[in-house]
Amino acid sequence: MNILIVEDELRIAKRIERMTQEILGDSLQSLNHVDALPDALEFIRNNPLDLLLLDLNLNGEKGFDLLASAVSGSFHTIIISAYKDQAIHAFEYGVLDFVPKPFNRDRLEQAFNRVITKGKPEDNQIKVLAIKKRGRIQLIPIEHLIYVKGAGPYTELFITDGTKELHDKSLEKLEQLLAHSFERIHKSYLVKMSEVKEIIVKSGSKYMAELKSGELLPIGRTKYKDLKAKWV
Amino acid sequence: MNCKLLTYVLSVCALLFSSACTSDPIFKKNETVYKIGDQKEWASRDWNDQNWQKRPKLAPDGKVFWSRTKLDLLEAPDSLRPYGIRLEVYGEYEVYWDGLLIGRNGNPGQEAILPPEGEQWATFMIPAHLTEVGEHTLALRISLHHFPDHTGIYELEIDYLDDLLTERLVQTAFMYIFAGAFLIVSFYFLFLFLSNKKEYPMLIFSICCFLVFALVLIVFSKDYVPMHYSLHVIRLQTISSLLLGIAFLIPFYFSMQFPFPWRKSLLIVYAGVLLIIFLIKEHAFDFKAFNMVLSLWVFSFGIVVYGVYTHTRGARLVLVTLLLSMAVYLATSFTISLYVGLGLILLGMLYLLSLNIKAQRLAYENSLVQSTRLRMELLKKNIQPHFLMNTLTSLIDWVEEAPKKGVLFIEALAREFDLINQMENQTLIPIAQEIALCRSHLEIMQYRKEMCYSWEEEGIDPEQKIPPGIFHTLLENGITHSLPLENNSIRFSLIYKSFDDYKCYTFLTFAAGVRPGSSNKKEGTGIKYIKARLTESYDSNWDFISEPTDQGWRSIIKIYS
Repeated sequence: MNILIVEDELRIAKRIERMTQEILGDSLQSLNHVDALPDALEFIRNNPLDLLLLDLNLNGEKGFDLLASAVSGSFHTIIISAYKDQAIHAFEYGVLDFVPKPFNRDRLEQAFNRVITKGKPEDNQIKVLAIKKRGRIQLIPIEHLIYVKGAGPYTELFITDGTKELHDKSLEKLEQLLAHSFERIHKSYLVKMSEVKEIIVKSGSKYMAELKSGELLPIGRTKYKDLKAKWV
Repeated sequence: MNCKLLTYVLSVCALLFSSACTSDPIFKKNETVYKIGDQKEWASRDWNDQNWQKRPKLAPDGKVFWSRTKLDLLEAPDSLRPYGIRLEVYGEYEVYWDGLLIGRNGNPGQEAILPPEGEQWATFMIPAHLTEVGEHTLALRISLHHFPDHTGIYELEIDYLDDLLTERLVQTAFMYIFAGAFLIVSFYFLFLFLSNKKEYPMLIFSICCFLVFALVLIVFSKDYVPMHYSLHVIRLQTISSLLLGIAFLIPFYFSMQFPFPWRKSLLIVYAGVLLIIFLIKEHAFDFKAFNMVLSLWVFSFGIVVYGVYTHTRGARLVLVTLLLSMAVYLATSFTISLYVGLGLILLGMLYLLSLNIKAQRLAYENSLVQSTRLRMELLKKNIQPHFLMNTLTSLIDWVEEAPKKGVLFIEALAREFDLINQMENQTLIPIAQEIALCRSHLEIMQYRKEMCYSWEEEGIDPEQKIPPGIFHTLLENGITHSLPLENNSIRFSLIYKSFDDYKCYTFLTFAAGVRPGSSNKKEGTGIKYIKARLTESYDSNWDFISEPTDQGWRSIIKIYS
């Protein structure tokens, strides 16, 4: 795993580094530390990354600018911050976890477990998905999102107005973040269940989900059983 | 509120105006003729006075002369209610009505030998049998020892005797109630001034109210204080002096409330004009009174119009009161408009004072809120999450990894908390205390950031006081926004210099430069805190400069004495 720590307090950064090494052991491929926003952005542009550990208040600057661009990336973000009151806001942006300071090893390990075991965030209040569009960050409200289609390492977001946008995160990562209202109905599809009108059984044990818009999406054979158990 | 006040003022004016309108007269006065000499027959009703002269300029020194006035009574009195006659005449005299002696006011012809006797204003009863409708003769046998040029009858009124005697007392009673209000207001504002000696408009207003009170007291004293005609001039001189004071102080008050260019010179010119009016024409008291009051009005009007032009608070309402007083003058007489006008103008002045008091109260409340806010801000420095949680996280780490160092860290933290607690409710603290706070803060930050911070000071006078937390704030900014030098250190330096008219603190940060994005930001909360603290303690007598240098950052605080 490739991890970047963005933290302006050297002692705390060292603590995170030490604990990360202890927790992840050999699965850690690289671990880097920067103490300022410009350096962090520079690093993200030029290096492969799986996880960002971000402090929200850096040298008097609010880390939310970085947060918006971080959550649009292909990696997961975990916030480590002194400002507990910003946790809700951070979850709305789609971070995987929020670790309040002061923290201990157990709490940090719990956060890493979410990344490793693909666990779902407890306080899942994600309200927007940030996407990169023409070099700028655009926020798409979750309520406007109908379904997500996997496209290699990327995903396509299908939006109520009929448009689609490209997202840097994989379908697996988005499934993790959107778990509370979306279901993986197919290896390539993640659908908001409130948008599904009915499930149609076709000949040859083929299952289709008909959306309110009339669109038909395939349902995977293995997924059908889970869906039936959960929703029907 | 303005509207209410205006309606009130208007209704008072209407009331006064209607009471000023008198009912139909019951007599008609013909021309008075005079003759120098003394004959008993001149008193008789039918004496032929065709060859008598008009009012003589000068009465012969102390000698007796006579006046005869034909009067037409237009109405006979009710039975059992006699008519009376009220006179204002200079001199001592006997009064004859249709040849009958009806009263004596002093000893005509014997003034030089006998002590002064009689009054300037006197009322006599007319016998009922001599009050039928038709022509009557009033003859006066006068001598004028003291002011020989004041011949003539200044006031003559015939009415029911009881009305003549009571009407004026009733009028006086009402005017005294009016004056009493100003006496109370005068004392009230005098006490307010004594409790806050900077409020000169209050003092001026208090004096104005007192002068108006004294003016009414003296003007209306004639109805109950017996006064010999020789003393009347003293009363008039007193009234003129009071008017002089009022005529100067009211525009002076307005000039304080509505400042204008060349205020001092214009006030001196105005005082000169008033003095000229006061000093010329020794005995022309009516002339003096009218012109002084007119000058008062014109000068005040100018000032208030300027106040309206510059949009000064309250100027419009005061302008309305001035215009109203002029309207009252145009609609009634000078005497009525004098008291109504002065009352209105004083109300306007009172309104301005109430606006001032309100503004002061608001400013005071604001300053209280501001002080509390600054106190909270100082306290918050050490409990705001960024400081506290980061410190605690580092602390946990030190305790886990190097317990001995952790203890030192805790001690530094305790010192900083202790110092903040000590200065929390002060507006000024000794500079030594502030420096101790900065040093303990650096110690904490050293443990957190694992950077080498050093502190230097130069020329510090430990006796000097400064608002709490200002250098601490500069230090925090320096730590947050500076890039460390190559040897991973940042150096801070505080230099104090005292000059004749100001004291100067220079706070220097020696670093490798400012973090990108830090210098072009708008004024942060830290700088706002420093400026608010300086204003709280030094008003506007300070300067604060904060700028980057080649070696880091420089902040200069100048406090003027």
